[in-house]
Amino acid sequence: MNAASAHFRAPGARGFRKSSELLAALTSRELRLRYQGSLFGWAWSLVRPLALGLILSFALGKVLGTGITAEFLLAGLFPWFWFQSSVQAATGTFVGNGGLLKKVKFPRQVLPLSVVLGNTLQFLFALPVLGGFLLWHGHEPTRAWLALPLIFAMQFLLITGLAFFVASVTVFFRDLEHIVEVLLNLVFYATPIIYAADKVPDNYRWVIRLNPLAPLADGWRRILLDGEWPGSDLWFSGALTAVVLLVGWFTFRRLEDAFADVI
Amino acid sequence: MSSDSPVLAVRAVSKKYRMVAPGSELKTLLLHPGAALHARRQRSNLWAVGDVSFEVGRGEFFSIIGANGSGKSTLLRLLAGLSRPTSGRIETNARMSTLLELGSGFHPQVSGRENAIMNGLLVGMSRAEIEGLLPRIVEFAGLQEFIDQPMRTYSSGMYVRLGFAIAAFMEPELLLVDEVLAVGDLRFQEKCYDHIAGLQKQGVTIVMVSHDLGAVERFSDRAALMERGRMIAIGDPKKVVGLHVERLASSSPEIRAALEEHIAGDQEGMDRLLAEDPEARAAFEAALELNPDFHRKLQEEAARGSERLG
Repeated sequence: MNAASAHFRAPGARGFRKSSELLAALTSRELRLRYQGSLFGWAWSLVRPLALGLILSFALGKVLGTGITAEFLLAGLFPWFWFQSSVQAATGTFVGNGGLLKKVKFPRQVLPLSVVLGNTLQFLFALPVLGGFLLWHGHEPTRAWLALPLIFAMQFLLITGLAFFVASVTVFFRDLEHIVEVLLNLVFYATPIIYAADKVPDNYRWVIRLNPLAPLADGWRRILLDGEWPGSDLWFSGALTAVVLLVGWFTFRRLEDAFADVI
Repeated sequence: MSSDSPVLAVRAVSKKYRMVAPGSELKTLLLHPGAALHARRQRSNLWAVGDVSFEVGRGEFFSIIGANGSGKSTLLRLLAGLSRPTSGRIETNARMSTLLELGSGFHPQVSGRENAIMNGLLVGMSRAEIEGLLPRIVEFAGLQEFIDQPMRTYSSGMYVRLGFAIAAFMEPELLLVDEVLAVGDLRFQEKCYDHIAGLQKQGVTIVMVSHDLGAVERFSDRAALMERGRMIAIGDPKKVVGLHVERLASSSPEIRAALEEHIAGDQEGMDRLLAEDPEARAAFEAALELNPDFHRKLQEEAARGSERLG
């Protein structure tokens, strides 16, 4: 399309730098607005996983006597809330910025990306708290921690692919926002977060295998708690993540030109 | 690019919208598939823009006028690349800046300064560029003491001023302007038109969609009239505005009646007729001020009418 905004057509590095400046500005605004005027600000992002982790460790560990510990739950819940809040928040990014999409020509991918980045930064800020909790319970860093960037990157790409898909499709099918909410609740239980992956009975293993998040959740725990490398099923999850990323990106590409007509 | 090749060329551009037929929603499709499919077949197409072609040369001030719903804003959206034509081509290589509803990207919770920077980034400037321009933008908008206040404290006039100042200082080659100047106060409007005229002198090409027929006549080099998605006239602004007013008056009984009241000297009756529709009022006023011929014609008609009655 010739009539594209010429500023962003600037080839290569210059155009990329401008887009990344825009992305950085949007992300930082998003993070600041989220806790603006609240007394504890960023600390609230810790409350959700901590509160759920502690109450579940009481309910599952002490009441039901499963032996599940708080550190076991927290090592699963922190990455889970990163995934859940990113995907949920991404669904509304195009619909919620309709006014902007109708009036200004800019690289539209920055909208879901800024939401994902905001949530990712929040997760990264929360990691030291998780790390401190684990140290306090005697889990020293091991060489396996070197694998953390790998599963971090994989989960980031999985989230990004899903974010593009749900944000784009929601423009045309508003019910998706609610469907995503329900699905995320189901995925929570289909992912080894409140149970260990190896406790899943053999005839239900396929659920875990088809869920690209499952090996990641299992991986976080193996690395942080057991000092082991992630399992070999991580590669299958990596392949699924690549598919999700491609489908998400091309869905966005295919639909983005009609956003301004539909919103 | 040679100086005589057009900055913007629109070739046979059309834009089709599908009208939503009642009963074709997904919910009905699930519950009563037969009825929904039938409704889907019945739904009609709306050609918001149909087979429009024109060229705009470098440094030209080109205005597009037309009644509400004539497709002029859709056309501007297509020019801005915000929406894709169903068929036809839009050719331009110019660095474009759009003044489409100023301040649509502003966030009320953050300061004017941050919004200005965000707005500049959105339209494709780099942070360094916009920070360099910021003092001039703030001065032009007259917001020196407010720029670090959150924008929720701004008046709507301040919104518009900041929005215009940002777009106007972007140093575009092609500036698209939509209806925006109607919002600010008169003095600021004048300042904006002056600034646009100054840009034009520097060789900036301007395409404007407006209801302000006076401004269209004063500033445009050429004007075009849209009616039901088609461009029915293009050329000298005076003639095009005159045609628009004439066609509006002949199609709208309110305007015609208001003109007759005006001629009869009944100010109150005229105001009452025009109170609901600012567009009709603008057309009416333009009819009076800018087109004495038309005025005379109506007077003659009125005279003839009263003769018949008498």
